[in-house]
Amino acid sequence: MPEIRVTPLGAGQDVGRSCILVSIAGKNVMLDCGMHMGFNDDRRFPDFSYITQNGRLTDFLDCVIISHFHLDHCGALPYFSEMVGYDGPIYMTHPTQAICPILLEDYRKIAVDKKGEANFFTSQMIKDCMKKVVAVHLHQTVQVDDELEIKAYYAGHVLGAAMFQIKVGSESVVYTGDYNMTPDRHLGAAWIDKCRPNLLITESTYATTIRDSKRCRERDFLKKVHETVERGGKVLIPVFALGRAQELCILLETFWERMNLKVPIYFSTGLTEKANHYYKLFIPWTNQKIRKTFVQRNMFEFKHIKAFDRAFADNPGPMVVFATPGMLHAGQSLQIFRKWAGNEKNMVIMPGYCVQGTVGHKILSGQRKLEMEGRQVLEVKMQVEYMSFSAHADAKGIMQLVGQAEPESVLLVHGEAKKMEFLKQKIEQELRVSCYMPANGETVTLPTSPSIPVGISLGLLKREMAQGLLPEAKKPRLLHGTLIMKDSNFRLVSSEQALKELGLAEHQLRFTCRVHLHDTRKEQETALRVYSHLKSVLKDHCVQHLPDGSVTVESVLLQAAAPSEDPGTKVLLVSWTYQDEELGSFLTSLLKKGLPQAPS
Amino acid sequence: MDPECAQLLPALCAVLVDPRQPVADDTCLEKLLDWFKTVTEGDIFFPVGSLNLTPCKKKVWELLGEERSSRGTPGAVPLVTPGLGRPHRVQCRAAAGAPLPGGAAVPCAESPGPEFWGPLLLTPPGRNLRSPGKLLPVSSGAVDTIFSLQGDSSLFVASAASQLLVHVLALSMQGGAEGQPCLPGGDWPACAQRIMDHVEESLCSAATPKVTQALNVLTTTFGRCQSPWTEALWVRLSPRVACLLERDPIPAAHSFVDLLLCVARSPVFSSSDGSLWETVVRALSCLGPTHMGPLALGILKLEHCPQALRTQAFQVLLQPLACVLKATVQAPGPPGLLDGTADDATTVDTLLASKSSCAGLLCRTLAHLEELQPLPQRPSPWPQASLLGATVTVLRLCDGSAAPASSVGGHLCGTLAGCVRVQRAALDFLGTLSQGTGPQELVTQALAVLLECLESPGSSPTVLKKAFQATLRWLLSSPKTPGCSDLGPLIPQFLRELFPVLQKRLCHPCWEVRDSALEFLTQLSRHWGGQADFRCALLASEVPELALQLLQDPESYVRASAVTAMGQLSSQGLHAPTSPEHAEARQSLFPELLHILSVDSEGFPRRAVMQVFTEWLRDGHADAARDMEQFVATVLQVASRDLDWEVRAQGLELALVFLGQTLGPPRTHCPYAVALPEVAPAQPLTEALRALCHVGLFDFAFCALFDCDRPVAQKSCDLLLFLRDKIASYSSLREARGGPNTASAEATLPRWRAGEQAQPPGDQEPEAVLAMLRSLDLEGLRSTLAESSDHVEKSPQSLLQDMLATGGFLQGDEADCY
Repeated sequence: MPEIRVTPLGAGQDVGRSCILVSIAGKNVMLDCGMHMGFNDDRRFPDFSYITQNGRLTDFLDCVIISHFHLDHCGALPYFSEMVGYDGPIYMTHPTQAICPILLEDYRKIAVDKKGEANFFTSQMIKDCMKKVVAVHLHQTVQVDDELEIKAYYAGHVLGAAMFQIKVGSESVVYTGDYNMTPDRHLGAAWIDKCRPNLLITESTYATTIRDSKRCRERDFLKKVHETVERGGKVLIPVFALGRAQELCILLETFWERMNLKVPIYFSTGLTEKANHYYKLFIPWTNQKIRKTFVQRNMFEFKHIKAFDRAFADNPGPMVVFATPGMLHAGQSLQIFRKWAGNEKNMVIMPGYCVQGTVGHKILSGQRKLEMEGRQVLEVKMQVEYMSFSAHADAKGIMQLVGQAEPESVLLVHGEAKKMEFLKQKIEQELRVSCYMPANGETVTLPTSPSIPVGISLGLLKREMAQGLLPEAKKPRLLHGTLIMKDSNFRLVSSEQALKELGLAEHQLRFTCRVHLHDTRKEQETALRVYSHLKSVLKDHCVQHLPDGSVTVESVLLQAAAPSEDPGTKVLLVSWTYQDEELGSFLTSLLKKGLPQAPS
Repeated sequence: MDPECAQLLPALCAVLVDPRQPVADDTCLEKLLDWFKTVTEGDIFFPVGSLNLTPCKKKVWELLGEERSSRGTPGAVPLVTPGLGRPHRVQCRAAAGAPLPGGAAVPCAESPGPEFWGPLLLTPPGRNLRSPGKLLPVSSGAVDTIFSLQGDSSLFVASAASQLLVHVLALSMQGGAEGQPCLPGGDWPACAQRIMDHVEESLCSAATPKVTQALNVLTTTFGRCQSPWTEALWVRLSPRVACLLERDPIPAAHSFVDLLLCVARSPVFSSSDGSLWETVVRALSCLGPTHMGPLALGILKLEHCPQALRTQAFQVLLQPLACVLKATVQAPGPPGLLDGTADDATTVDTLLASKSSCAGLLCRTLAHLEELQPLPQRPSPWPQASLLGATVTVLRLCDGSAAPASSVGGHLCGTLAGCVRVQRAALDFLGTLSQGTGPQELVTQALAVLLECLESPGSSPTVLKKAFQATLRWLLSSPKTPGCSDLGPLIPQFLRELFPVLQKRLCHPCWEVRDSALEFLTQLSRHWGGQADFRCALLASEVPELALQLLQDPESYVRASAVTAMGQLSSQGLHAPTSPEHAEARQSLFPELLHILSVDSEGFPRRAVMQVFTEWLRDGHADAARDMEQFVATVLQVASRDLDWEVRAQGLELALVFLGQTLGPPRTHCPYAVALPEVAPAQPLTEALRALCHVGLFDFAFCALFDCDRPVAQKSCDLLLFLRDKIASYSSLREARGGPNTASAEATLPRWRAGEQAQPPGDQEPEAVLAMLRSLDLEGLRSTLAESSDHVEKSPQSLLQDMLATGGFLQGDEADCY
């Protein structure tokens, strides 16, 4: 029995370190290869030893697919390809291919800078890893090999994020990665066609949430920033290099323009130019509004946002600074935070998730006295705000996508177990689709029914049409023909065409049967009696009495003979072709009942 | 455990057990457990030492054991397997129902809870438990629990359970009833007996997962334990293992191969153990091609094994390539790989079955041979020529240029044409083959096929990268004419053919190809830059000009590689032809690279420029040597403004080279090095210091000392310490302390701290700088910087504080991610 097997090595009932193994029709595919920001040791990467148990990685895995550039989806990739030893193809979209190395490089630098880790992947490894990448376009069907094909769909979430359909023959799986069903400032909404996969593997970060309007959060964010700078305070927004930072920049830029504000906004580490470059390069991946206005004005060319110099942090007066990294755990953002933390007029806005141990996590959990290096204690008097701008589909969005794709089954990943449980029930009850939520390391096995595609010859279809029967989409119809299997393909053709194609001579197969009749008359007379009887019974059929004494009804041939041992009995020899099988059977059973008495 | 943590722990336990309090995520719980592991290292029992943590310990364990998902069983215990592979928090759901092992060591629970599992699991293998005999679940249902967990739906749980079983087995064998190690031939301890019965039963099972579990337990046992009892174990179980070969299909073939190899590798087994080799010989003929290869490779890697078996294994390994050769050889040519032996029908079937099975078999074979080639224990004689012939044939089948000699060959032509996967594997192996010795014809043959591959318009970027790498290996290992410094007769001709291809690849639309071509050029010129033949061929081509153009490539990786390549070429005077029409191109590369350093928006090219400049300074490149001070001053000024800390760190590296050249090299720290007399600086010290001031080195170094990126500050600290030590040996400048300069220097310090340049470069007085050097506690700073910047965050105290403070933050639905 063919089956699809799915084993999450990461993102099974948790968030972070996304890595899902899918086995479909003998092909093995790894979906995402992410890292967990919450760990500093080996646990930050998925446990690949469970794949290496199956022999060489490159022999076992047919390909790796990366859904988008966030590190929890691609952070382990250089480790996997350059240190664990995977040497096969890696698929991702063009923007992901362009942006991924920047984020990986950023992460590497923080790991080396902050933690002094020496045994870490290098810049060269990131480059060598990226050289193994095959970039794909949206809706382009890519043949990984003769049997395995993949196709990318737009997922929103971040620039270049994609959902992937993996197909082998008639079996298919769709992996959503992270997606967003509502458009935001710079990206559109996720979309997929009614591809009816055997399995849809979907993220479920906001499995129980119906999120409030993003506009409200945006208004709230602008209000807080505005109030702080109005009273002369400084606003620090720790961000990661690319993604949410650009969304917030657009938001502030537009607001500053509208309000005609003069307070400086800075962006550290020169990433604005880089982001600008990528957003320009991949403008088709942004939302309709940005694409439309791009001709007159590029939304990513900011008038109010300037490059930051670390000497600016001591300037008097209000300002807004976007600084990396996003969790206040190293580098410039942490340095600025230390300078500004003591002033209650200032504010830090954390626009995303912070892992345990980071200063970001500590201040968000309410700690106000932080121990820094050398037993120094930093007192945090500045205001601390948390605003989630992460772009994931909420429960409604997930249901909408499941409805859109119409899968046979759904499997939930990238979420918390309790929330998944709720969504699982909702999907099973409302959509009548079976739903799974394996933990990391658990395998879900789904049996699939093989469907074998059969091509139909044009001649056969034309013949069918000639009979005046028009095809109807919803009503299946019986079609007779000869099934030919050639080069692993099935085709249904007319028997004449089959004979011609296969170079075979035609043989006719006839069924024969003997019927004994009590009749003392001569054979010719018996045959005549049979003719008269059948003529009277089968009014709609062509019954003939041939000159040689035999009788025919369509293709059924009847001949009377006299067995030498019993002159009082005649034997009727009945034969017919397979086309008239029903008629042949009917006639033999009719004749076995005997002939009507002849009028005396 | 420090007192702060001891104070926080009870409060944390209270929070953890309170169902109304939000609980920190799993990562925190795992880190907490890690910490427990470290604090319990001194004692196998938890809690430890004099700290009274009894009220906390049970609660923490309970919490850790509590299934957080709604489908869990209350009272389940997490099994954490440190030292038994990667640690994973796994749920031992069934553990709750199992009775307690008898014995006084675990007095307080009704079921084998943490007190039972904890010591067992927290003990690394090889460490003796106190009275292990008393602890082991000899007659309890606990071992049954582990048996059932072997079949858990989670790979992690199943694997941890198998490892735990091995652990229990090893412990039970370590200490029998009387605490004495068991001897082979003696009675097995009851617990070990039960485990072995279970393994035996599983080996006979018709269910493949059961067989796999048993085989994995045995593999782990033989891999970890090398006591004499393992031999007795094998004697007992080997007939059952051998029986698996009689089944069709052979169950768990992969695990079966692993076990055989693991047993064969174990030092406990003497090489004369006939039954093992018999089983291996049978396995080599019974297993399918997928598993035969790994087994054959494993056998050939063994240090001791019967010669006949080695021969058989090597034949198995060579079989697929022999088939390929046979299918394509037109006329009786050089001897094949396996002359005189019949084709293995299964191998041929696999090659013909489907495209993926054919590609899979060839890739595995090539990878196995690649692994074997450099090993000292590889078979001898090594059929270098035939292997090369076969690899070249495979590559030709892939590019469609091979001529089939039989129907099998025809089929292979169709199957392998354009197969990138096989091409990659063949090129990897071809590169490795360059390390073997062989006649000149072999080099010609290899280089010819590589050139074809590099030229082919259909080659994919990954194939081209591997082709470049293999070509480099063949070129650098090509035999040279004895006693002659040139490259021999063959190479110059090849280079004349190669450079036009390289030119084409430098203009390839894919950045990956342009980059691989540049990397190839850099490596080749690094090794052969001084060879006349190479110089001649390179300068006759347009390669240097194209490489120069790639400094403006839209892709930053390519720009960085172009910088490195041009830096290399320029060091060897190869960056442009010497003819008068190229006079413009021959001009200094310095302004070009400096421009990249100043304006390139990406870090990679800027970092590459800094590396080139440092090399230039170190090697006395003309551009650097012309006016060294000006060169250093300009570079440092640009580097100090760079936003990328790695560029700034590289700037300090350059400064260190300059210091070494001005004041003499740094002292060696190697205790075994012969103490050489101090090399006199090139110029008087005051002058040298003035030069350092003039180039702005102090400005740069002091600013870097307060850099927000730790490696920069660390490097700067090292540089200043080196400088201070150097100066200390000169008495004339020792007495500047306390003068008016000190005050001005100290006033400058905050401005450097703020990241501003104190004065225009070159304006400082050496005395002021020296005063500053003395006033700073550089040693103290170095030890602070030596600690990673997150050591405070990573501390257990920080973890406990964070877990305590979690309340409120994780509530609601805003558990965010990226």
